[in-house]
Amino acid sequence: MRYEAKVALRYLLSSKMQTALLIGGVGVGVLVFCFMSALINGLASYQIEQTVGSIPHITIEPREQTPKVLGGTDGTLILPAILRDNTQRSQIRAWQTVLDTVLADDNVRLAVPVVAGNGFITRGQAVQPVSITGVNPEQLSEVAAIGPAIIKGTTDLDLNGIIIGSRLARNLSIDVGQTLVIRSDRGGQRDVKVRGIFSIGVESLDERVAYMNFKAAKALLNLDNGISRIEIKLKDLDVAPALSASFAVSTGLKVTSWVEKNKRLFDAIQGQGSTGSLIKFFSIVTIIIGVSSALLLTTVRRKSEIGIMRSMGMTKGFINRVFVIQGVLIGLLGAAVGSSGAFAFTTLVMQLAVRADGSRVFPIDPSQGAYVAGIMLATVASTVAAILPARAASRVDPLEAISQ
Amino acid sequence: MTTTIEKPTEKVAERAPLLSVAGLTKNYVIGDLVTPVLKGIDFDIYPGEFVAMLGPSGSGKSTLLSILGTLLKPTAGHFFMLGNDLTEADERELTKFRNRNIGFVFQYHHLLPDFTALENVMFPAVASKLMDDVEAEVRATMLLNRVGLGHRLNYRATKLSGGQKQRVALARALMNNPALVLADEPTGNLDRESAHQVMELLAEINAESGTTFLISTHDPEIAKRCQRKITIIDGKVDSIETNPTVKQDVAAA
Ligand SMILES: Nc1ncnc2c1ncn2[C@@H]1O[C@H](COP(=O)(O)OP(=O)(O)OP(=O)(O)O)[C@@H](O)[C@H]1O
Ligand SMILES: [Mg+2]
Repeated sequence: MRYEAKVALRYLLSSKMQTALLIGGVGVGVLVFCFMSALINGLASYQIEQTVGSIPHITIEPREQTPKVLGGTDGTLILPAILRDNTQRSQIRAWQTVLDTVLADDNVRLAVPVVAGNGFITRGQAVQPVSITGVNPEQLSEVAAIGPAIIKGTTDLDLNGIIIGSRLARNLSIDVGQTLVIRSDRGGQRDVKVRGIFSIGVESLDERVAYMNFKAAKALLNLDNGISRIEIKLKDLDVAPALSASFAVSTGLKVTSWVEKNKRLFDAIQGQGSTGSLIKFFSIVTIIIGVSSALLLTTVRRKSEIGIMRSMGMTKGFINRVFVIQGVLIGLLGAAVGSSGAFAFTTLVMQLAVRADGSRVFPIDPSQGAYVAGIMLATVASTVAAILPARAASRVDPLEAISQ
Repeated sequence: MTTTIEKPTEKVAERAPLLSVAGLTKNYVIGDLVTPVLKGIDFDIYPGEFVAMLGPSGSGKSTLLSILGTLLKPTAGHFFMLGNDLTEADERELTKFRNRNIGFVFQYHHLLPDFTALENVMFPAVASKLMDDVEAEVRATMLLNRVGLGHRLNYRATKLSGGQKQRVALARALMNNPALVLADEPTGNLDRESAHQVMELLAEINAESGTTFLISTHDPEIAKRCQRKITIIDGKVDSIETNPTVKQDVAAA
């Protein structure tokens, strides 16, 4: 092996230009591979982060009411029907127990009880329907990322406080500090003071959503004994599907993970992933074709040398290894050049492609360049590419090569 | 500086033929066309002999040397070397046999251009792990000194003159101390002066070391120096002559 390596190295060094081009070619393939990985993975992380930052990772809700089967009085007639109990808002009753169960799990970073319902805000003659969300003031930021969206006032939710959207405020011509009356669809009523006004940029949200103190909303919505849902944030996103299944069993409630609620996002990420894989696949194919054709040319050029080596008693295996080792060396060097180039390039793109406000144009992430995979694939590809030329070389007829 | 290659005494003592060729034929087949080139060749060569093979162009000398060098399969017949029927051996065995027992010198030197003279000579020994680096370097240096290239050890093969290249090729052929050196028109590409030098070396090394040589040539000067001349005409042995002017110290014929 040692001597084969020596011959391989001599061959590579003897045509420095060709070798440099080959290493450069493999390098570009690896660069494309790693750059695409950094871009696709960075984009996926960015999208998940954007989504997951504002939504619960797991949500626990009351069970949906299921159809009940009504037996006829004579015992023969069976009439399936959905009986909706409209007099009672669906709620989690023994919610403290559920909360304790959930919080006992090590994966759970935070579990927030939330009450939610519908109501109206009246001011003078104007009436506006709102969707009320009640949370503990210190947990508001976990339920809704409205902190950065506040355009006026604060996010302090005392018992008499309310935070509303900018469109609603405009419709009611109301400002921070002013008082209004909120009524729930359960008949509750309360005077509240506007503490803050947010603008998320989504019309329906800015017009319809109002945040209130947990206790105040609970009373307003007639939810004395229960809550509407528990929103959970996890330490590790990946465990969400498994954990939600386990919570469903332990609580007997309806438990949904963020993955189920964001199927479209996942489809989109997967789509991006497949596009990226295709590009990466072709970058590897390019490496194989390039290395293979260059080494094939070398075998033709070195035919008489191969012939003389065979006549001196070098085995076919020896000749084979000389060429495979060239492939391995080209692959390793190309991978080293390409992966370090990719890291430098993605880092540069990340630093340069920044908008004035500091946000990034490309959500590229240099740390997600899949360098190990790129290096290994390129080395394997380059080695595989050498197999064909190596076989051709080992089959050179020494006599034909010598007498030419 | 001249170095003498010591004699492997066991080869000299041997009385049995080193190489025995029996009824060897070769047909080249191209499509439907069968060209008989060798039509039944028989001769023996004894250890330590210095034999010339003569014959007009196209008579089949190169074809015969290729077969004896195990680079080409005969159509029929057998040949034996060191007691082995090489027509029966498989590819692996032949590769190893070539490495250990046969040295080649061709009309063209066929040196590896990316290696130095020393590395070229060491190659057959180190690449096949027959010798370690130190042992091989000592022997290769000795051989290059012997062919008068002690001052060109670390020259790239491409930087040497034609005659020098051929002398490196000769040293390489001798590296593994082969039982038989097959030389196909070894001086065919050289100017008179270089050809003479190479010729002298072949004869001297044969005399010093007892290495057996079979040399195909058109050069009457070479033929004069040989102990025996085998003349091939039209694929057959036309005559085998013993040269009375050359000292017959080892030949048994
Ligand atoms: N590979 C081959 N295929 C077909 N015919 C061949 C092949 N090699 C040689 N021949 C033919 O075999 C015959 C003998 O060729 P060979 O090279 O052995 O002759 P030679 O005695 O070495 O001649 P020279 O003195 O010119 O070197 C020639 O007629 C040649 O055309
Ligand atoms: Mg010839």
